Amino acid sequence: MAACSSGWVEVEVEVVVVVVSCGGASEQRMDDIDAMFSDLLGEMDLLTQSLGVENEAPDNPNIPSPPEEVNLSPGFTDLNASLHELEDNDLDVLMADLMADLNATEEKLATDIENLKVPPAPAPSAGQPPPPAASQPPPAATLPPAPQGLSSYNASDPVSPVSPRSEVSTPSSSSQSPAPPPQHAKPSMEEIEAQIKADKIKMALEKLKEAKVKKLVVKVLMNDGSSKTLMVDERQNVREVLDNLFEKTHCDCNVDWSLYETNPDLNLERGFEDHENLVEPLSAWTRDTENKIHFDARADRYEVFKNPQNFYLWKKDKQTLKDMKDRDKELLIEENFGGTSIIVPDLEGALYLREDGKKSWKQKLFLLRASGIYYAPKGKSKTSRDLVCFVQFDNVNVYYAKDLKSKYKAPSDHCFVLKHPQIQKDSQYIKYLCCDDPWTLTLWVTGIRIAKYGAALYDNYKVAVRKTTLASAWTDRITSSSNSSSLTPSPPIKGHGDGRCSSSTPTSSSTTVLRGCVMPPRLLPPGRLPSAFPPPAPMDSLPPPPPPPPDDATEAPPDFLPPPPPVTTSGVASPLVRRPSRPAVAPPPRGGSRGSVKNQSLPPPPPDPEFLPPPPPPINISGGGGGIPPPPPPAPPPPGPAALRPTPMVRKTGPPPPKRTTPVLTGGGGEGGDFMSELQKAMNRKRGGD
Amino acid sequence: MAAWDLSVTVEELGPEVPPVTISVTSDLHIGGVILKLVEKTQLKRDWSDYALWWAQKQQWLLRTSWTLDKCGIQADASLVFIPQHKPLRLGLPNGCTLRLRACFSGPMFRTVLGVCKMLNIRRPEELSLLRPLEEKKKKKKEKDSAEEVYDLVEVPLTSVSQACLYNGMPAHFADSPKTEAVYKMLSVPQPAPPPELITKQYRPASVVDKAHINSRWLDSSRSLMEQGIQENDRLWLRFKYSTFHDLEPKYDAVRLAQLYEQARWAILLEDVDCTEEEMMLFGALQYHISKRSLAEPETTNSNTAMDDLESALLSLEVKMDGDSNTANDLLDNMAAPELNDYLKIFRPKKLTLKGYKQYWFKFQDTRISYFKSKEESVGEPIQQIHLKGCEVAPDVNVAGQKFLIRLLIPAPEGMTEIYLRCENEEQYAHWMAACRLASRGRSLADSSFQSEIQSIRSFLAMQKTSGNSATPAADDTINTYSLVSPRYHKKYKAKQLTARILEAYQNVAQLSWTEAMLRFLQVWQALPDFGISYVVVRFKGSRKDEVLGIAPNRLIRIDLGVGDVVKTWRYNNMRQWNVNWDIRQVAIEFDGNINIGFSCVTADCKIVHEFIGGYIFMSTRSREKSDTLNEELFHKLTGGHEAL
Repeated sequence: MAACSSGWVEVEVEVVVVVVSCGGASEQRMDDIDAMFSDLLGEMDLLTQSLGVENEAPDNPNIPSPPEEVNLSPGFTDLNASLHELEDNDLDVLMADLMADLNATEEKLATDIENLKVPPAPAPSAGQPPPPAASQPPPAATLPPAPQGLSSYNASDPVSPVSPRSEVSTPSSSSQSPAPPPQHAKPSMEEIEAQIKADKIKMALEKLKEAKVKKLVVKVLMNDGSSKTLMVDERQNVREVLDNLFEKTHCDCNVDWSLYETNPDLNLERGFEDHENLVEPLSAWTRDTENKIHFDARADRYEVFKNPQNFYLWKKDKQTLKDMKDRDKELLIEENFGGTSIIVPDLEGALYLREDGKKSWKQKLFLLRASGIYYAPKGKSKTSRDLVCFVQFDNVNVYYAKDLKSKYKAPSDHCFVLKHPQIQKDSQYIKYLCCDDPWTLTLWVTGIRIAKYGAALYDNYKVAVRKTTLASAWTDRITSSSNSSSLTPSPPIKGHGDGRCSSSTPTSSSTTVLRGCVMPPRLLPPGRLPSAFPPPAPMDSLPPPPPPPPDDATEAPPDFLPPPPPVTTSGVASPLVRRPSRPAVAPPPRGGSRGSVKNQSLPPPPPDPEFLPPPPPPINISGGGGGIPPPPPPAPPPPGPAALRPTPMVRKTGPPPPKRTTPVLTGGGGEGGDFMSELQKAMNRKRGGD
Repeated sequence: MAAWDLSVTVEELGPEVPPVTISVTSDLHIGGVILKLVEKTQLKRDWSDYALWWAQKQQWLLRTSWTLDKCGIQADASLVFIPQHKPLRLGLPNGCTLRLRACFSGPMFRTVLGVCKMLNIRRPEELSLLRPLEEKKKKKKEKDSAEEVYDLVEVPLTSVSQACLYNGMPAHFADSPKTEAVYKMLSVPQPAPPPELITKQYRPASVVDKAHINSRWLDSSRSLMEQGIQENDRLWLRFKYSTFHDLEPKYDAVRLAQLYEQARWAILLEDVDCTEEEMMLFGALQYHISKRSLAEPETTNSNTAMDDLESALLSLEVKMDGDSNTANDLLDNMAAPELNDYLKIFRPKKLTLKGYKQYWFKFQDTRISYFKSKEESVGEPIQQIHLKGCEVAPDVNVAGQKFLIRLLIPAPEGMTEIYLRCENEEQYAHWMAACRLASRGRSLADSSFQSEIQSIRSFLAMQKTSGNSATPAADDTINTYSLVSPRYHKKYKAKQLTARILEAYQNVAQLSWTEAMLRFLQVWQALPDFGISYVVVRFKGSRKDEVLGIAPNRLIRIDLGVGDVVKTWRYNNMRQWNVNWDIRQVAIEFDGNINIGFSCVTADCKIVHEFIGGYIFMSTRSREKSDTLNEELFHKLTGGHEAL
């Protein structure tokens, strides 16, 4: 109960922060927030009422979901289970992420009216519609549970419409939102009012949609063996998730970084394309899947744009290709990707095909065309008209396959696979092909991706390059501004689990530093996936060590500088950046800190002095907690980090957490059957430990 | 200086009238000759377009300041005084013939510029004129008489304007209904040709055949008259260089339509090889384009209409949301439509042959659930099938009243095959449409649901009519044989073909017809053999004929015997190329001291030279949309010695 009450206290704190931050942004926003705020209060009332009823659900959290009904209510139990299994810092990170998500949602106005028709999410959500989540609709609600195993995520059935949630969360929020905002203060111009109204409508709409948006909790394995837990909603594409990770990890952000899935059952691996929605492929995973998501640099990812000659002129001799001038490369890209039609590399060659159902592999002459893969039947020419279609790409993805030599007696280990993304087990519908050497394999896989994705691939690349240059500008600044980078990951966490966060944070930051020096991101071999995962747990928040690792030396002085949080914030708020109007109006005093943070998310540099003004005291308590490192973590931080500690805390409190936290806390009161409440519980536990 | 008599035939006076004789001196300039001539004829009219043509030498005397002496004209010269612009019959890529007034005196390149300007085709440098195939004379005459000829001769050249009317039609087409009809012919794809027409047309059977076509291109640096083209002769206007710069449907109605027509015929006549799957896709696109272009002739407006619609929707959205109490209503009202009906289902399993079983089916969102009966449909379904990502194939025989939907449903363990049997066409059309949408992740509420149903109906209709060819097809049905090359006429029965095209069709049914044309062009351009012009050559030091393929970015040496590519050279590695006009040989030097030389067998080496120079010119065009054409550079690159 003590925990609960503290939770409430914190709510208030958080709320304050919210308001402040808004004030910092602009007048309009201020109004919005006011309105939202009033909405929230209303909603909270509703919620507290509903809590009594809904809380029953949570009572039997650990019961495994019934096999048949999987679609219907699986999320629930699983969620709890998975939450219990999550380590503390996972929770922290997750919370941080939720925060990010919160902001993101706030920003995004899904235009698709169809979303409205999407059936509501699984039941548990209904229980805990996060009340004041302001713009943020019940994150937990839609949250699909994490899988029981440690595995990175759990599939929820998007379609199952079980829950009667509609009564609770969605409508209430939406209907309320339009409630007249307390605008009287500054409705100077009619325009502004109109604007406000429009914003409100948007927000209400957004809420409506948000309520239906499917979200997944995803554990991403880093290249250093650590992992990060993120929340991904179904509207996010891979690019956005990558950006998110960039900001959390301080890798060098080059175009090679990618997210890929591995399927140990089938020995498969596939890099997600930047334009894909991450949730979709993950939804195809089975409940008990061993599949994982990795974040790592993959050289083959955009190799075709770096060295197009190797793909488009592969028949030429190696030396010519090597000596290719940049200008000629550009020309090649222009020729093949710049026209009205994307040209697919003209590949042909003998590949081995695994015969259906048999153990044998048969060689055939395969040709790649824009319309699919073909082969020349025995005794026929390879002219177009004689070719037999082997597969078209509409319904299949291409995967790298590992170790098929031992598994299926493949002629070599350079194999690729074409299958429908939903197929997860060995099946006659999976097509296995085997190449003679690794380069041929890359050629084919890349060629197929070009054929399948066409212009999107090139667009992705261009965006990735832009991000890289942007990021490098950033890193310069960050390095100069000191250790900020190492700290960055933690701040968001702060928002929620005060005690816990702080404790884990310092550790992680210190670790980062250490590791940063040691381990460049790419060192790790791509294939390895620690399935039995609980790795250096504390490091979850850890970014894969950035190539330019911050030195301890660097760290020390700049501690006071606010830079780190901004980074995080920017990560969190990255969507915000897109928002059209966010004039930085001089905010009220307290707003200063928040406001500055926000601004910083846009322009990287100026650390406001105001930043320092440390946040409310409660945090300090957390600081105390910080002294006790989370159970699994490695060695405690050296002296350097200790010095750091105070700083991070300060920062953390300031920025992002606010809105999110609130819902959580409420949930805690209700001992939520839902995700947020689970989080809350975990926090409480933690606190009790302290 | 001694005066002498020069006789000039003045066409305007009529064929019977003997040549006019004027007295001139050798230092009289051409302008003076014309002046004298006009005075002598006593005819009052606009002579500004007239010029002197030197018949024996087959050349124009266009430089009015040159003296007779300088031109080399003496008393024995027979000159003709004729207009520089004359009617020409132009065979368009879409197969129609258009009579218009073209320039006979300037370099052919400029003639094409003029023609394209009149027809409102941007990027005229990509087109050129060639002599038509010499078909059997008699047949041709018959055909000619029957052939409908569109006429633009009356359109005065001076009135050709850039300005476009509201619907994208240039003002000079707006003069009369007749000219408006011409514009429609130009900018809207023609209906599918009858299969017989395709079968009858000449189809190149080999690379060498294709090479011969390239011998017919006219020389772009000489005038039509100089190349023996007479008034009212027939020429083909075609896209010659396969790089279509900056294709923009907004401005390129005619260009796009004609390009599509050229591509379509290239496919139908197997000028470019493609696989069966690709042919079916081309067939489906053609079908779609013919259908849609008939149905909605106003392309240009559709865009704005769409925009309007979108904004309307948007405001609607806002409005609905503005009412504070409507959030619930909103959801209720938007309740997704469903389909409910008794259908029969069949799941083929190994070794079991259970028949179809009837259940009550419900189609919601992107999934199908079925129940024992309608009465029990409130409870738990027997099974739920999620269709997103599944494959949908028709298995239909209208005559046999068989309406099957074959579903291949992905699951973690593999794909599950399910057949749904419908009772009648209507039921089939609805459920099939729903399945197709669902497989793409769209629900029944999708706006395209109705059009999807419609297109399935029309395809069923097509199967009906093509089933028994005895009954004349209704005008809105299309013979499937019109959509594919004759090879497939033999390979498939009409029904089979319809099914296959229908399969491909489901991927394109959502496109507008402009989008469909663009897709057609994309797929066409992605074919491996696209854009290669063949010429039979003999390489230096080789004793056999080989084929040189000229592509937009490279030259390809092809072994005639095997048909294999022996070597390719890219233009961007090219140092220089030379033509020895005396021995008619082309010599090219590439980076790395690679030299090749060849003489041309099937085409004049000027044609090869023009192709190479032309493609290099095309590559100099910038990405920016400046419309100025660097004519001088074109001539420099393609002109050969005449240009210098």
